Formats: sequence, structure tokens, C-alpha cells
Amino acid sequence: MIELSGISYTYPHTVQEALHDLSLELAPGRCIVVTGPSGAGKTTLCLAACGILFHEYGGKKAGIVTINGRDVSAYSGLSEIAKDIGIVFDDPEAQLIFTTVEEEILSALEYRGLAPDEIEKRLASILDQTYLSALRDRSPHHLSGGQKQRVALAATLALGNDILILDEPTSELDEHATRRIVEILAGLKKQGKTLLIVEHKYTHFRELIDTLVVMEHGAISAIGAPDEVLRDGRIKRIVIPDFAGIRDNAAASHPSEPALVTRDLSYSYEEVCALKNVSFTVGRGEFVAVVGENGSGKTTLVKQFNRLLTPTSGDVEILGKNTKNCTISELAKDVGLVFQNPDHMFFADTVHDEVAFGLANLGISDGEKAIDAALTEVGLLHTKDLYPRWLSRGERQRLAIACVVAMQPEVIVLDEPTTGLDGDEARLVMATLKKLQHRGHTVIVITHNREIAEQCADRIVAMEQGRIVSDTRMVN
Amino acid sequence: MAEILQYVHKDGFFHRLHPFTKILFIIVASIICILVTSIPVLVLMVAALLVLAFIGDLHREVIQQLKLVLVMSVVFVIITVITMPGGEIIGHVIPQGVPVIGGAIPITTGAISVGLILALRFMVLIFAFQLFLISTQPRDLVHSMEKLHMPIDYILMFIIALRFIPTLQIEGQRIHEAQLARGYNPGTGMLGKVRSVAPIVIPLVSNSLMRSNVLGLTIDMRGYRTGVRTHIRERKFCGGDYAMISGLCITAAMFTVIAVLLPALVF
Repeated sequence: MIELSGISYTYPHTVQEALHDLSLELAPGRCIVVTGPSGAGKTTLCLAACGILFHEYGGKKAGIVTINGRDVSAYSGLSEIAKDIGIVFDDPEAQLIFTTVEEEILSALEYRGLAPDEIEKRLASILDQTYLSALRDRSPHHLSGGQKQRVALAATLALGNDILILDEPTSELDEHATRRIVEILAGLKKQGKTLLIVEHKYTHFRELIDTLVVMEHGAISAIGAPDEVLRDGRIKRIVIPDFAGIRDNAAASHPSEPALVTRDLSYSYEEVCALKNVSFTVGRGEFVAVVGENGSGKTTLVKQFNRLLTPTSGDVEILGKNTKNCTISELAKDVGLVFQNPDHMFFADTVHDEVAFGLANLGISDGEKAIDAALTEVGLLHTKDLYPRWLSRGERQRLAIACVVAMQPEVIVLDEPTTGLDGDEARLVMATLKKLQHRGHTVIVITHNREIAEQCADRIVAMEQGRIVSDTRMVN
Repeated sequence: MAEILQYVHKDGFFHRLHPFTKILFIIVASIICILVTSIPVLVLMVAALLVLAFIGDLHREVIQQLKLVLVMSVVFVIITVITMPGGEIIGHVIPQGVPVIGGAIPITTGAISVGLILALRFMVLIFAFQLFLISTQPRDLVHSMEKLHMPIDYILMFIIALRFIPTLQIEGQRIHEAQLARGYNPGTGMLGKVRSVAPIVIPLVSNSLMRSNVLGLTIDMRGYRTGVRTHIRERKFCGGDYAMISGLCITAAMFTVIAVLLPALVF
């Protein structure tokens, strides 16, 4: 059991409280799901609940956290706390230390003071429980996002603790991988484990939740049984993304004028064929969603649009130009690509300079108007002088879009633009994209979230194993 | 993408060896290659290592690093030619016919010889360490180092440094692609690499620092630093170990005898 009472916390070198007078009780065998906008303090809550904040972080702290009745400050350190609590962070890649799945789990088991026989038994049981038996000899670095997350969870389960804290365990996972994680967590709950989960995918976790907590600005703004909490319309919009009304039929698209054409496009990574004879056309001003599970070839497909990858066979034409005859920098004028993780692009000291970088690459040095227009478009003009990495996840995602919009490419491609965002932020991003369509841009969104596709896009292209398996027009 | 210095899961000759045997192997190879100044002997050592890689079914992984090793070797030779002239002059980097600066950097036999020795030593060290690292599971490395009474924090630092190599490779590639998609064209060659430092290295370092924070917390929260470990699936010395240790002892003995009796052969 974990009890937080009156927790307030301010990170070093900041003035705003990350947690404000927060109290929460996690009773044995219960499952609490915490959700809320990025920057609301969800991860800080996890760090507080497992004592990391008190043992490893500086800053201003107030309040008491107890684990099974014992004050966390009384523990000698994290190694001792680790005997009572297991935590899985949101970045699975950073939690994989060893070179095979089995080694990762075994290494965690070895430090629990168990007999060798017991270790072997637990190893087999954990591999089974997390559906990793077939992957036991594989390198964790070569697994899919969902598999990596399962390995990180398995290594934490190896500790055998009754209390588990999971910080966004499914944020970058597709439907299938998310369902697998939920299935595993449901099994753990059945075993009597106590779970504290930070999540945005409420609908997937619905059956598991005993208490739903919604956080905003470092404090709990709603807590209780899910049905009770969701009675408040404002809170419901944070918890469950509502994309209704985003798609309208008024957007002026010209499907007859092609912005992008692929003909018999195939692509292979060494021996693996990632795209097989993909042929499709996107008209100017269309809003297309490319859907499919992880590994279906979506990202490989869009990387062909600006020649980050060059087709093994077949052709890609952007506004009538064959990409084989263009360089990446030439294509950047026509195609803007926003990757899943916005942090892969930020390096400048201010939001303004970050947007200006793309313009400078196009040879535009006096782009103040374009910078202001792009930042206004995504609602970030007020952050112009801030350091990009200080922004919240949702704001960073919108800044990444602004960086591309400022360059005024006709085609804007976004890879999973709503990853890690709460309902309100996800809606804001999708509404921004819709606005761009109205301004005449052709928008292509990659997503494994069918709901986003169905509610926002004019057309849904579904991919499976490197092929297009369906192409559905949602509006006439 | 070829991963640098990462464990390869196989069941070859090298994989079956006890980590202590492999540590002895790199110690012997390192000492001999550092002492030897004879180019033919160093070439022989490189060849022997390649044969061992072939026997251990690790030749593909070793050959993958050949490009990097050859580039570094050329760099060594160029540096020694510029900085350590000696012996006979066999030409000039800048032809003598060029006015004012003609004949400024002589290419000498001594410099080439030193450059080749450095390059070959580098090859021996890289190949020996690579064979050790790609055939030893980090878990076994941790256990062996623990037995050698190395502090657990230093062992973990070593393991993490190795483990971060592929992560940085992949992350660097993603960042590079993200910047290219924004029209960034740093150009090719050395100048391009220098220009790409800020847009690539800043996000790479920032992201890695955040990741290393999570990694550090994970290590603590999994109890790796408690040092109390159940010994399980420990590697035992096998026939291959005895054969390898015998081979290493014979090689070391032969080297000592030759070094004392016929020093001209190796120095």
C-alpha cells in the first residue's frame, strides 16, 4: 500500500510547483489509472510514489509518502525501496541493459536472494506471463516497441514486488501491442498486485480501473470510479479524445489533381521486403490517414516521399516530379515530414530559432512573417522566446508541426502526431491539421489509432505487411 | 545497421570459452602487439586473429568493422608521415615542382614504417577486444569482473557504455533523418560532418542525458547495485578453455624466448 499525503514538489531551478498538495491512497490489490494533460505532473507523481523524488532529486519537497506504512525517507535508498516497489518507465529502450531477453530478466532475478531452482522457475513463469518465451534469445534492441515494453515489464516483474508503478506503458504502441500489455496487467491484477498506471488510453484500460485520477497543473482535479469521474464533460474530454466534428466536407480538395503518386513502389531493407508494389494517388488538398499496425510499412512508405529512402523499384512523384530526380533538400520544399518524436529535431535555443532553421535551409533569411504565421497557426506564438525543450509534450508536437508549416510545403506528412497526448491535446493537434488542409495543404497522417482516422481523415489507406489492403473514402 | 561491439548470440568456439580465458587472451594479445615492432609479426597476429574469428564463426562481425579499421589505419599513416619524418625520403606530399611550398612534407620510409606498426597494433587490439566483447554476454562480464573484485559501479559503467553504442547509432540516424526532412544539407565529407554537429549532436546529447537518467534509476530499482547475487548458470572451464590457455602460454613462452635469443625477429 502506498499513501501520499500533502505532497508538494518543485524541481530544482524552477519556480512552478510540479505537484501541489497532492494526497492519494493506493490500497492493496487495487488499480489506479492516472491521466491528464502533459506537464500535469503524472510522471512526477510516479517518482514521488516510489520514493525516487525523495532519494534522488533535489528541489523543494513537502508532505509524506509511506510504502506499506513506512516513510520513504526511512529507506536507506532506492535499492531497499526496490524490494517493495517495481517501476516501469515510459521509455522502454532506456530500461534494457542486457543483450538477450532472457539475460535481461535473469539478471534482475539474480539479485533477489532466491535459490537457483526458484530463479529458473520464476524465469519460465515470467517469460510465459509476458508472452516472451519465443523471444528469449533475441536482442532487446531488435524487438518492436511493444515487445521492448514487455521485456521492461518482465524484468520489473522479476523483482516479485506486489506494488507496480507503470508510467505510460503503451504510449507508442499500436492496438495489438496495447491489448497485450493490458492483458498482462489484467493477469497481474488478478494475482492481487497493486497497480498505479499513468495512461492516456482510457478505453483500453477501462475494465482494469478501480479508481480514475485526472491531474491538471500538479494537482488532482478529479478522482473516483470511472463512471463518476466521466460525468463531468470537461474532464471527459481530457480522458477520452473527442474528434467529433473535426472532419467537415467543406475542405476544398482536388482529388483529380495529384499531389503525390506512387507506382508499383517496392522497398527492401537488406533482405526484408518492407513495401510491396504500393500504388496510390493522393489528390491536392486531401486529408489522408495511413493506418496499420507497427511494422506494416507506414513509416517506410512516407520516407519515400522526401527520399529519405529511395525506392528499390517503382516510382514516387511529388507534384509531378519523380523523386529519383530530386535531392532531399529540394523535396523538403514540397514535402514536410514531422516524425513521431519531436525531440529528434530540436536543437535551437528558442522556439523562434527552431522554426527559423528550416527557413534558413531553404535560403529564406528574412522569414519573420512566416515564423509568426506558423507559430500562430499552432497556437504557440506566446512561447516564441522559450527554450523548445521546456514546452509540454503536446506543445513540442505542435512546434514540430510549426517548423514544417513555416517552410510552406504543399504536402505535410505526420508520423503518429498524437502519441503521448491527452484527449484535449490530441484534438488540438488534429484540429490544427484540419486548419492546414483548409489553407490548401495536402495532409497525410500515419496512425495506428483507427478512431483518429475515422473521425478526422477524408480517406483511410490501410496497410498490412507492406501492402495497401484497403483504400476508403470517408467523404464525397 | 551494423552494431559496433555488441554481443552476438551464437554457440561458437569463442562463445563457449570462460570469460577469464578471454580476458587472458586479450591481455596476451595486447602485450605482445605493444612490444613487437616487426611488421611481419604484427601481420601474422592480425591473420591469426582473423583465423580465430573464422573458427569462432565471428568472421562476418569482425569483417564488418574492417572499413572503420582501415580508415583509421590510413589516418595513422598520414599522421606519422606528417609528424615523424625519418629514414629515406621516397617522395613528397607536395611535389617539389610547386613554387614556395614544394617539397614541404617529405614522405619517409621511417614514417611509413611507424605508421604501419601503429595501424597493425590498432588492428590487433580492435580485433582482440571485438572477439572478446561480441562473444561474451554482459551478464558473464559482470560476474567475471565481480570475481576480480572490481567495484559494481565501475562494472555497470563499463556495461552501460557498451550498451549505449547501438542506442546512439540508432538515435543519431533518426535525428539525422529528422533534420534532412527539414531541408538541412550539411554537405558530404569532413566539412559536412563539422556542419552537422549542432543539429545532430545537441538533440543526441539532450536525448541521451534524459535516457541515462531513466537508465540510472532502472539500475537502482532493479537492485543491481546491492551486490548480493545468487550464482546461477555460471560458466565452467571446458576443454576449449584448456586448449586456449595452453595455446596462449605457448605463444607467450615462444615470444619471450625469441625476444631474448633472436630479438631482431620481433623488434
